[in-house]
Amino acid sequence: MRQKFYKAVLATGALGMMSLFSLILPGENSLAATGTSAEEVTQTASIPVSEAVTSSQAGSVMTSGADSGRDITLRICNWEEYMDEGGWDADETIDLPSGDIIGQNSMIEDFENWYKETYGVNVHVEYSTFGTNEDLYNMLTLGDTYDLICPSEYMFMKLISEDQVVPLSEHFFDASDPDNFYTRGVSPYLRRIFEEHTINGEPWSRYAAGYMWGVTGIVYNPELVTREQASTWNILKNPEFRKCVTIKDSVRDCYFAAVAALKGEELTSPSFREDPEYKKRLEQAVNDTSPEMIRKVQDWLQGMKDNVYSFEVDSGKADMVTGRVAANYQWSGDAVYTMDQAEADNYYLEFVEPEEASNIYFDGWIMLKRGIQGDPAKQQAAEAFINFVSRPDNAIRNMYYIGYTSFISGGEDPRIFEYLKWNYGADEDSKDTVDYDVSYFFTGNDDAVDPRYVLTVPEEQTRRQLGAQYPSTEDIRRTSIMQYFDDAQNQAINRMWVNVRCYNIRHLPWWGWCVIAAGLVGTIYAFVLKYRIRKKMEP
Amino acid sequence: MRFSRKNLGIPYAVFLLLFVLMPLAVLFYYAFTNGSGQFTLMNFIGFFTNPNTLGTLVYSFAVAFVTTVVCVLLAYPLAYILASSKIRAKSAVVMLFVLPMWINFSLRITALKEVLIFIEGNLAMYPFTNTVIGMTYDFLPFMILPIYTSISRLDHSLLEAAQDLGANEREAFFKVTLPLSMPGVMSGVSMVFLPAMTNYVVLDMLYNSTYIMGSLIGSYFAAYYWHGGSMIALILLLIICIFTLLTDSDETGDVRGGTIL
Repeated sequence: MRQKFYKAVLATGALGMMSLFSLILPGENSLAATGTSAEEVTQTASIPVSEAVTSSQAGSVMTSGADSGRDITLRICNWEEYMDEGGWDADETIDLPSGDIIGQNSMIEDFENWYKETYGVNVHVEYSTFGTNEDLYNMLTLGDTYDLICPSEYMFMKLISEDQVVPLSEHFFDASDPDNFYTRGVSPYLRRIFEEHTINGEPWSRYAAGYMWGVTGIVYNPELVTREQASTWNILKNPEFRKCVTIKDSVRDCYFAAVAALKGEELTSPSFREDPEYKKRLEQAVNDTSPEMIRKVQDWLQGMKDNVYSFEVDSGKADMVTGRVAANYQWSGDAVYTMDQAEADNYYLEFVEPEEASNIYFDGWIMLKRGIQGDPAKQQAAEAFINFVSRPDNAIRNMYYIGYTSFISGGEDPRIFEYLKWNYGADEDSKDTVDYDVSYFFTGNDDAVDPRYVLTVPEEQTRRQLGAQYPSTEDIRRTSIMQYFDDAQNQAINRMWVNVRCYNIRHLPWWGWCVIAAGLVGTIYAFVLKYRIRKKMEP
Repeated sequence: MRFSRKNLGIPYAVFLLLFVLMPLAVLFYYAFTNGSGQFTLMNFIGFFTNPNTLGTLVYSFAVAFVTTVVCVLLAYPLAYILASSKIRAKSAVVMLFVLPMWINFSLRITALKEVLIFIEGNLAMYPFTNTVIGMTYDFLPFMILPIYTSISRLDHSLLEAAQDLGANEREAFFKVTLPLSMPGVMSGVSMVFLPAMTNYVVLDMLYNSTYIMGSLIGSYFAAYYWHGGSMIALILLLIICIFTLLTDSDETGDVRGGTIL
């Protein structure tokens, strides 16, 4: 009997150990008893810079050795595949009127060299990546230390509200310094959003500097889905596309889609649209987390769950390209990537922002208190890094490499607009062209058209990459930010999410109950039987 | 200090303390507290009163149960044939079945996915079936090996004795081989059942949108709710405890060689 007890304890211990690992490892990878799933789940991967260097072209100049003062180590954590790693072929050169742009070295390496040249200090970047905002947060909770991270807006709002973030220095906003590329080049439209939105009474812009942004929408296959059908979040519940549409496995994205669909009538009504306070009301409407709304969202999502192909983690892009699904909820940056991939196979997909409303999101740089620790040299290097990736040519490199849209409009530097022309502009002799106005992004004014910022593009581009990367003025007006959920909301919404994703026991058919009953009786019987046998065998 | 054999045990004691007992304590702490660190049973009450989470327990149980049954049905005849055949390179054949374990798991499932899509068309139409197929594919070697080991270690003279005493082959199989190979089956079952309840990556990759227990843990952690995740882990722990008590035999486990895996 005792021996048995020990065995049970050992088995318990083994499982306990696995559970510990699942506690230690960040994010949603429950290694508890799955063991093999480690490589599938997103994890942090520290990429030493030396490794990034190997991918750059041979013959590049490397700074070596310290000759002035101490070296600075900058720990940066960014999204996976969210920065140019260099190594472009010569035919990938972006030949703009203001000069060629090509990514030879990785962005990190270029930064280290640039910093050394500009400030005469060696900086060493430790670059690591994260898979989801929640992963990042859990990593920070468990004690990982970074100086500079790039989470989405709701996560930096959460971190700012928890007082974990160092405000940007005054010098960072000094537009007279030619090396302050961020302040000189950030899009006035986005700058305003960052100044107008506050957390604890302080504007985002005091703490966060934007890196990339985008909107959510539907990527669809125009051969199977009409643009009209794709222009509503209800496509996810449309029985015509049963098991042919996917949505992200993300609470926030699903919540947004559900709220927008549920309030569709209100959001698309002319009286709501023409309200002078439209933007403000829209933001209130889509950020509705009242218990009643959460309940409605649960019902909506439960219905949707039976209709969608899957809640995809990372397979949506590939499934769209291979034609397994007809439409896919997507972030605009990934949508660009998906459309590019499909085009490589001569297969054209399109992107649309649903009529009701769309979620505008931002990934921004913030400096963490625990990493910087009040060290001015380090903070200076971190801010210099933000500025370096905001330099128009570097912003273009990153955009070209990852497909997302940079925060940078260039200010006086014409290269960003030149890049748009280079990328999307129609050939002079092409016929089906339209004028596409992006002046809101460059001037900050979404009411007036600035003829300097009107592109002439092939008509279909407005429905493809260009429309996703730089939404039209009309589309951008229908976007709203999504607030972060506080603890209470987070708990309520997560409970809703669990309810949506779990199997409701009330759906269990009668024979299922019979099997359970038989199983329970069998278990108890087995116990009794064993006990009896043992008794018999005892002398 | 004089060296004694007891000193050899110190590393294990440290290991046990660090990686078994302490994590268990942490697990218990989280499972029985709420966000502000107070003792609560609400995590468990919440789980057992919500038809959705309870349904997930039933659902993962069903997935695991069907997977285990299919695994046993596939593995036993195979192990039996292999063990009792006269093939000379037997271990090589066994190796062939174990080989997939050495290939990266996500690669295997991706390949399986393509095959299933080729057969079924739209995978999302048969989520449960696909999950069982995926799990079976993934865990089958864990079932084959222990059964094979226990059958091949069987004392052959017992079978001869049975036949001498007038049992035909069928009777000999059911009265001798099967009971004596049960420990192998049991250790196979214990290695398949619980992972099949929690390995949600297979689900995700094969487009099953319904959570199993493992996905629940992940979901709680993604919402920074460690208490919920620990609670689920503890429930799983309870299940494996019951299971161990049930399958564990008092006869000393020399035939349980299969557990070497």
